[in-house]
Amino acid sequence: MSPYKQLGLRKFNYRLIARLTGMMLIYMATSFVLPLGVSLYTRDGAQFALAFSAVLVLMLGLFLRNFAGRGAQYELKENESYWMTLAVWVTLPMCGTLPYLFTGGLASLTDAVFESFSGFSTTGSSVVAHPEELPAGLLVYRAMTQWIGGLGLMLFVVAILRKLTHGAGRLYEAEFSGTLQRKLHPHLARSVTRMWAIYMLITAVMIVALLLCHTTVVDALCLAFSTVSTGGFVTHSGGVGMLSGGGLAVVSLFMFLSGVNVAILYRFFTLRWRNIGRDEELRTYLTIFMLAVGISVIAFHSVGDSWLPAIHYSLFHIASTMSTCGFYIAKPERWSFVVSVITFVLIIVGASAGSTGGGIKLKRIIILIKYVGNYFTRMMHPNAVFKVKVNGEPVESDYINKIFAFVFLYLAFIVGGAFVLTLCGISIPDAICMAAANISNLGPSPLINNLGGNLDYAQLPNLAKWTLTLLMLAGRLELFAIIAIFSPAYWRRG
Amino acid sequence: MLMVEGGLILSCLIPALHFGDGTVWPIMASGLFTFNVGLLLLVSFHNAKRPTNRRVSYLLVVAMWVVLPLFGTLPFLSTGVLNRFADALFESTSGVTSTGATVFSAVEWLPSSILLWRSMTQWFGGFGIVLLVLALVPTMGINKYSLYTAEASGADNTGKQTSSMTTNLQQTLGIYLLLTAVFVIALWKSGMHVWDAVNITFTNISSGGFSIYNNSLERLTHGQQYIVALAMLLSGVNFAMLYNFFTFHWDRLRNKLEQLGFYLMVYLVAAIFVIFALRLKMDFGWGDAVRCGVVQTISVLTTTGSLAADTQQWWVPITYLFVVLSLCGGMAGSTTGGLKAMRVLILVRNVRKILRDKLHPHAVNPVRLNHKPVATDIITNVMVIFLVYAMVIFIGIMLLMLSGINATESIGAAIACITGYGPGLGLSGGFGCYAGFTVAAKLICSFLMIMGRLECLTVIILFIPAFWRR
Repeated sequence: MSPYKQLGLRKFNYRLIARLTGMMLIYMATSFVLPLGVSLYTRDGAQFALAFSAVLVLMLGLFLRNFAGRGAQYELKENESYWMTLAVWVTLPMCGTLPYLFTGGLASLTDAVFESFSGFSTTGSSVVAHPEELPAGLLVYRAMTQWIGGLGLMLFVVAILRKLTHGAGRLYEAEFSGTLQRKLHPHLARSVTRMWAIYMLITAVMIVALLLCHTTVVDALCLAFSTVSTGGFVTHSGGVGMLSGGGLAVVSLFMFLSGVNVAILYRFFTLRWRNIGRDEELRTYLTIFMLAVGISVIAFHSVGDSWLPAIHYSLFHIASTMSTCGFYIAKPERWSFVVSVITFVLIIVGASAGSTGGGIKLKRIIILIKYVGNYFTRMMHPNAVFKVKVNGEPVESDYINKIFAFVFLYLAFIVGGAFVLTLCGISIPDAICMAAANISNLGPSPLINNLGGNLDYAQLPNLAKWTLTLLMLAGRLELFAIIAIFSPAYWRRG
Repeated sequence: MLMVEGGLILSCLIPALHFGDGTVWPIMASGLFTFNVGLLLLVSFHNAKRPTNRRVSYLLVVAMWVVLPLFGTLPFLSTGVLNRFADALFESTSGVTSTGATVFSAVEWLPSSILLWRSMTQWFGGFGIVLLVLALVPTMGINKYSLYTAEASGADNTGKQTSSMTTNLQQTLGIYLLLTAVFVIALWKSGMHVWDAVNITFTNISSGGFSIYNNSLERLTHGQQYIVALAMLLSGVNFAMLYNFFTFHWDRLRNKLEQLGFYLMVYLVAAIFVIFALRLKMDFGWGDAVRCGVVQTISVLTTTGSLAADTQQWWVPITYLFVVLSLCGGMAGSTTGGLKAMRVLILVRNVRKILRDKLHPHAVNPVRLNHKPVATDIITNVMVIFLVYAMVIFIGIMLLMLSGINATESIGAAIACITGYGPGLGLSGGFGCYAGFTVAAKLICSFLMIMGRLECLTVIILFIPAFWRR
């Protein structure tokens, strides 16, 4: 009889969780090399702070891996996968606050937590009003956190942990809760490795492309990390407005790409083009993109822009919104009202399943719309039987039910989050938009907000910042992992 | 149907004659006109086939809810209290759907016949005209059950007390009349004029919310306000439950106990929050805070829209909470709007079921309500209604914004109209009115009210091309 059973607790594989978290921390510590290098190169004075945080993270990681996680069994049960996900997703961003605090870039813990969670969850909401005043090393670090979080930390776990055979799939699902992932390779760990390879390749290409457009090395690194992960941190207070036309075009293109399912990109790059055009989600993505761009071009034109800048703006803006990247050229008060409305819709809809973007995800929306359509037909012909199909494959009714529940939770989170925000003195439309923008991991609120038109969240009270932090995390983990810890069944002995 | 309505308009002659305010002729004309059109239709289609088709019943229900408000505009237009058709349509729809949104910034100058007409449309509509007609005209031979599902979207088809629809409806009507009578007497005994008591009961028992005073319930004594709150509370309870309660079939109450518990719990939690918020954030005295909290929260939860104070001035989180509460609504099978307690409960339980599935993938984890598993058909129905409801609200807000209303007001108005609460946010909230809305916005709101009353699906299906195909 183990002591846990005597206490009435389920025998919990906490050692494995500690071990994996520790390993993640060690990887994270090694990734500090890049910002540290930039810091030394530009002599911004942040090198000691960065090195110190790296050492601390490394030590914590080693401790968790070698002491707390000693003798772990490589097997994850159902409920443990949620705990695992949560442990990693809370520990890493919490450790990620260290550089902000040590360099003095952000004064308060709340701000650092907000910024760090915003980074890892690829949201891109920022409390920094003037990023150019931060040391370059910290800027690169900040952008890099998004890149790490981009594909999902769990995918990283799956990729580095070939030993984990029982439960790897569950981890994968805990993060991408049921988006019917098409595997690239029958072996899960291998297909995940391929996803990472594609991700790195795209990032590298983008960095080169940006350098060719005469951006500085720091800007190129930061922007590429922010774009490919659909994060949205910027390096200047003017947003991406300082880029040349070519640079903007590059960013637009890569934002658009990062809203596409990585599996499709993989097929694209390995020259297997045959079935790409038939993928329903991709087609919907394209259709919505074209439609939204069309409407917004007309809208911009009608408020007095000439055609070419209008097209330029619209392509950039819609790509930024659909991929939930959250870069803006025009500040919100310049938008025509129609664009705000489209923006809001697109935020909720979000990017493709299996991409780095957030939101409800197109695949779910497609299934829901098909299902509701069928439902109406069934109202007229009560005895007819219909099956929803996506890409020719029937979708199980359990799965549809899950999507409905997901959407319900999603809206409930937005409504509930907005309620807490109104307690902080934010007006109702702003509160709803902020909650939606953060749960979808977009970043800046799409409405003209009452923060003087600024896109940053610096002026908000602490309660609001913590609420938004929770929303970002909830959105990134696709809600169920967050809900699970509030559910008694997950605490009970199994 | 129109005959019934004509008859109702004519009954408004009584106060007109009694108070002698010079609206006798216009009212009589509109009443007779409506009555005659109804008669004409009945005579001309006397030999029409008895429709049993589902499609026809959907069409019939929607047609009724469009035609009745149209004729309901006649008294407003003919007496000249409203000059524009859009205004009259808005007011009339708001009445028939028991929403309670008004274009009158002040109502006390209106002739008493018009006031009664407004109250009466709500009382009449609150119960669901269709149900009323089915109870009164059992001989018509239409497939009643399909009509009933069209109206109530099958939220609670486990809830019929008896196997016969007609008896069921007659019982419900009986309860409705009984409650009305009880509260008229109660208010009258508490020192109110009979005229006021009738009007106030009509609009509150139907969860409507029109008032005969500019400042709604604020005019009433505190005791009277609590009486009205009780009326609203009861109007949010399933009528079958009330019937079983009053006829001592208490064992039958068990099959809806959880919904009732949920409804009361939501009310309690919200009311406590509102009371404390009023006391701590708005410097209300304890007495006022409790009274306003108790009365206003139930008014919102049952989507009535009677106001204990000018909520427009209240702390923003309270007004936001009101919007959310009105979305929740009372119990299914009551006069309230919103999503209904039962659906919200099923939605929440379904999330729990999914978490359980994850934990025990091989176990059967049904969604249970009142200790009985809920059929998957009902769950999908709830899900679809929820989704469509959310989308309609969303589109409604966008359309209102396009018609030139600002964001806060659009959110408030769209949700207030679809749930049937009435007062929105900003200028249309509290003691304000919808007079400032553009014509387009008023029409959108009227449409949303009908959508909300018929729970979206029935209306939307008419816009699907397949519906009209043979």
